[in-house]
Amino acid sequence: MLRAEAREQTDAELVRDSLAGSDAAYGELVRRYQDTLYRHAERMSGGRDEAADIVQTALIKAYRSLDSCRNPNRVGAWLFRITANTCKDHLKARRRDLVKIDDVPGLVEADGDDPADALDRRSVRSRIDLALRRLPLEQREAFVMKHVEGLSYQEMGQLLGVSVPALKMRVHRARDGLQELLEDLT
Amino acid sequence: MNEIDPRLQAYLDGELRLEDLPVVLRDRAGEWDRLLGEVSRSGQAGAPIGFDAQVMEALRQEIGSPGPAESAGRRSRPAWLEWAVRPRSVTVSPIAALGLAAALALVVARPWSGDVTDPQEASVTGSVYVQFVVEAEGARSVQLAGDFSDWQPSVELADPDGDGIWSGRVPLEPGVHEYMFVIDGSEWMADPNAAGSRDDGFGRKNSLLAVSEISGT
Repeated sequence: MLRAEAREQTDAELVRDSLAGSDAAYGELVRRYQDTLYRHAERMSGGRDEAADIVQTALIKAYRSLDSCRNPNRVGAWLFRITANTCKDHLKARRRDLVKIDDVPGLVEADGDDPADALDRRSVRSRIDLALRRLPLEQREAFVMKHVEGLSYQEMGQLLGVSVPALKMRVHRARDGLQELLEDLT
Repeated sequence: MNEIDPRLQAYLDGELRLEDLPVVLRDRAGEWDRLLGEVSRSGQAGAPIGFDAQVMEALRQEIGSPGPAESAGRRSRPAWLEWAVRPRSVTVSPIAALGLAAALALVVARPWSGDVTDPQEASVTGSVYVQFVVEAEGARSVQLAGDFSDWQPSVELADPDGDGIWSGRVPLEPGVHEYMFVIDGSEWMADPNAAGSRDDGFGRKNSLLAVSEISGT
């Protein structure tokens, strides 16, 4: 009996084929990692449209320098690093995200310029979103990776190139900040 | 700012069990579990439907990636040209790497006899694309300067994944070229991987790169 077995291409094979000019191969890499990258960007930026822009920018950037991915078997981690960096660059350019926790009087008074936020503010999730957006970028990034993406400190360290103690400190400070911002929820 | 009790932090990091916490902290731990559960659930949505197609379309528009030429009905470049113009990691070690450069040129410097409809392609016909790679951890910017840019640091290298390895691709005419890297806009640095160098007459040495060419078909 003949049986056709479709073997899923490895990441390294897809990188190789992408470098050889295969759109389909890069498209498959995009499909494989888009959800993870998008979730990270969405939780970091707080908006779906913004997340889509960030991830698209990152994936184009990655395509341009795909040959510099030194370990094609770990291309997912490499794409994540590029997306995380793109996220941070994007958010740094958005001044309101650089507001320090200590400068924010409280969630109930925040974001008066965004009607959508005002409408959603009553929901817990929306309040968490707002609180996350007020954390310093590195704390927000570490918190999102730990508690939204469910990564271990070791995995986070490998992705970001930051030591485990430093990441722990960022997560702890993020929780301290959230506790203050979400006082009635914790 | 009120700091969370370190034992509660350890619990939230998964380093302590609930029963290891003092009773007074357990209610607090439960509140955090509920909050973090909400955080986790709120992050479950993936990319929108069709997002991958949107990215690939944007890629085609921005980079001019040929895509599936058959379905798009567009001109397909020869495979060797696709290979030639695509960035790749080639650590440049001039002179001693003459063989490598020659081998590279052997493939990429061959004139293409197909239709030239892309001005950028046409302008670099006869040139050899060379990928420059340099390690500069902590640098905010790295540029490349050389005789091919009138020694203006006009070629920006990129480090998209932030690992300190900067790279960039430059079309070069066949011949021997002198170049240096410029770190953070001010620090001129020779290529540590260059096997050859030449005095610049000002007490420093420029790195050397040999690009050779073969006759086209």
